[in-house]
Amino acid sequence: MAQRSWISRVTQADFVGPLAALLAISAFIAITTPGFLDLQNFRNISLQMAVLAIVAIGSTVVILTGGIDLSPGSMIAILTMALAVMIKMEGWALWLSLLLTLVLGGLLGAINGALVAYLRIPAFIATLATLSAFRGISLTIAGGSPIFQLSEDLRQLFYGTLFGIPLPFVYVVVLYLIFYVLLDHMKLGREIYAVGGNESAAKLSGINVARVRFLAFVLAGVCTAIGAVLLAARLNSGSPNYGDGVELQAIAAAVVGGASLAGGRGRIFNTLIGALIIIVVQNGLNLNAVSTSMQNLTIGLIIVVAVGFDIWGRPIRQWFGGLRRATA
Amino acid sequence: MTDELQQPLWELDNITKVYPGVRANDGVSIALYPGEIHALLGENGSGKSTLIKILSGVQQPDSGAIRYMGKEVKLENPTAARRKGVATVFQEFSLVPTLTVAENIFLGQPIRRGGAWLDWKRMQQQAAEILRRLEIELAPGRLVGELSVAEQQLVEIAKAIHTDAKLLILDEPTTALGENEIKALHGLLRRMKKHGVAILYISHRLDEVVGLVDTVTILKDGKVVSTREQTTLDVNVIIQRMVGREIKQHYPKQANATEDVLLEVHHLSSRGGVREVSFKVRRGEVFGLGGVIGSGRTEIARALFGVDRLTDGEIYVDDKKYVISSPRDAINAGIALVPENRKFDGLFFNFSGAPNISSAGLRQLVTAGMIQKRREGIMARHYVEDLEISPNAIHQLVLFLSGGNQQKVVIARWLFANSRVLILDEPTQGIDIAAKVAVYNLINQLTAEGRAVVLISSDHNELIAMSDRIGIVRSGSIVEIRDARDVNHSHLVQASAGELGKSNAQGD
Repeated sequence: MAQRSWISRVTQADFVGPLAALLAISAFIAITTPGFLDLQNFRNISLQMAVLAIVAIGSTVVILTGGIDLSPGSMIAILTMALAVMIKMEGWALWLSLLLTLVLGGLLGAINGALVAYLRIPAFIATLATLSAFRGISLTIAGGSPIFQLSEDLRQLFYGTLFGIPLPFVYVVVLYLIFYVLLDHMKLGREIYAVGGNESAAKLSGINVARVRFLAFVLAGVCTAIGAVLLAARLNSGSPNYGDGVELQAIAAAVVGGASLAGGRGRIFNTLIGALIIIVVQNGLNLNAVSTSMQNLTIGLIIVVAVGFDIWGRPIRQWFGGLRRATA
Repeated sequence: MTDELQQPLWELDNITKVYPGVRANDGVSIALYPGEIHALLGENGSGKSTLIKILSGVQQPDSGAIRYMGKEVKLENPTAARRKGVATVFQEFSLVPTLTVAENIFLGQPIRRGGAWLDWKRMQQQAAEILRRLEIELAPGRLVGELSVAEQQLVEIAKAIHTDAKLLILDEPTTALGENEIKALHGLLRRMKKHGVAILYISHRLDEVVGLVDTVTILKDGKVVSTREQTTLDVNVIIQRMVGREIKQHYPKQANATEDVLLEVHHLSSRGGVREVSFKVRRGEVFGLGGVIGSGRTEIARALFGVDRLTDGEIYVDDKKYVISSPRDAINAGIALVPENRKFDGLFFNFSGAPNISSAGLRQLVTAGMIQKRREGIMARHYVEDLEISPNAIHQLVLFLSGGNQQKVVIARWLFANSRVLILDEPTQGIDIAAKVAVYNLINQLTAEGRAVVLISSDHNELIAMSDRIGIVRSGSIVEIRDARDVNHSHLVQASAGELGKSNAQGD
């Protein structure tokens, strides 16, 4: 058998499309927009993308199982409020408050997971319900008013640096590495792909499908909690209005990165590229003083174009693939 | 037989169609006469599908002529072919499960009554009329999703011919059908033939073709290797022509059964409809389960494998009692299930071969929480060599493998999971003859290694030839167990047809 050449391996790799798109978009913005290439702007981008990139990890895990999670935005509202209450009103230690916030995120994810995996309510419906319910709960915390001026230590979690590198950037890199190992090298990750690829075959291979679905939502809840902590740290506050629409951007990041909403297909690093594309475009539009409404419109266009390329590109790739097989 | 002087209804003359890297059809000529059933045979990839796609307007030939009643025509799209009376039933079902039988029959060509309004009443009536004419006993108002696969197949045919079909093309219509359904289908085809319809029939099952068709065309590598004049309807000759070499034994059965009991089932009953089933399978033995579709064979498999909840009964493997309430329990007991529908239940199409093979025994590859991918690759390569799977399986998505290779990948999964009892549910369905023989050899290999096989098959010849003993299943129970050599074709049909009160209506 002919060994596949490194050229064909690189061009066949699934990160090529999204990465090429990211570079092309960045190049275009760099040419048209002065200031985009400033070091300070890169710093801004890495700060801006952290929350989205981390929430998108959880969305990707759920999407890989063939599910969807619409609730992270509302979850962020509850979690920032809970964190604010624990720090400011109860006066608990920062480490304890952070830990409890992550646990709470896992629990909220477990609610989604239980609805979907054990009560067998379709993920779209279940998380549409919790999208509404979680937002409602967040408004009952501390009378529904935002809580400001939480703690300088909390702020430092976002604005601090490690060897000169902004901390949010470090979190993103570490979390993506952890989830890369989980998804690509661990049993649970393999089972996540298996359940999304063919639920029935997964069941007949002895995989506990309900457990895998449940855990995917729990992981998504924990990721959302980390995102919520960063958002609260960045704004040094908690509010029931935070996180609105994050879920859609997170899903968009996964889809722009090539994840299939049918489940079973998608790479975690591609989601990072997808999140970067969204943030870079937003950043470019911000630098050009484009209004928020136009930004939302642009992101809609990106989603259509990205998914379109994936679908139109498939017959072309198959044709090339067929050619290569035939000549091998 | 057909009058040789008669003009062919359709004639394909020297048709060539090239896809990137493969000549799917290479100068194929074939003539179809009214009132004649014409079989098109060949292994997978021999060009049958391409030919019928050209004839039904789905694809255009690169060169060659298509003649309709002697006049050259172009079939630019499926509608053009349909207007000329070509009705095609493709392998993949084109029915909408959430619509009724009548709605499906008229899907795409509804009867209107003025403007945008649909005439449901007339469609209902006409659907009933079509079904009655075809002697299909189905209520037009039933939802297609609730029908059995066999009934869906009949609806598919009704849908294809409700327009005035002059040529009916059937692409492997019997893959999902049992003996009685096949009989009913053949009866239907014979009646249509009498009415002057030309029929092009594609099948893998040679036994059924012999009794039914008037002429045979055999394709190999895109070329016609045998035409109507040369072909005698002898199964061995046909196989030889198709494969291009003589297959010494279509069923290379090895008797590997020992006296040592490996699987013992006592009074098994399940929520899926299994009732009081008891049997034993010995090391090295192939225990066949015969019976019509819906008799409960698959349900016995599902009960043994922990898919359907057991209500009663005991299962022993190697004299040890196991409580099986999930597939995981069954896998731990050493039981494996190769499901009937490998496309929907067996394979992960998003994976290449290696993770497909490792999925049921993944634990063995995990050290300190990590899947050892290097060991996984070595393991996959071992099975690829051992079971003679295409080497492409290691890196390529299983989507791109042939049916035979896909089936071997699923079987390899269970070998890797150290299964001792393998339940094979219709393991050769929809794969070509060479691949079937490969699966039979694999069954021999399994039994020679001392494993036990439970074989479920609707192909009676295969079941009788490959089993050591056969249990006949009716209404979820095993009604009789016999040595396979004491079982013959008519025995299987009679013993299992007891429940079908209307089976006498299908006699020829």
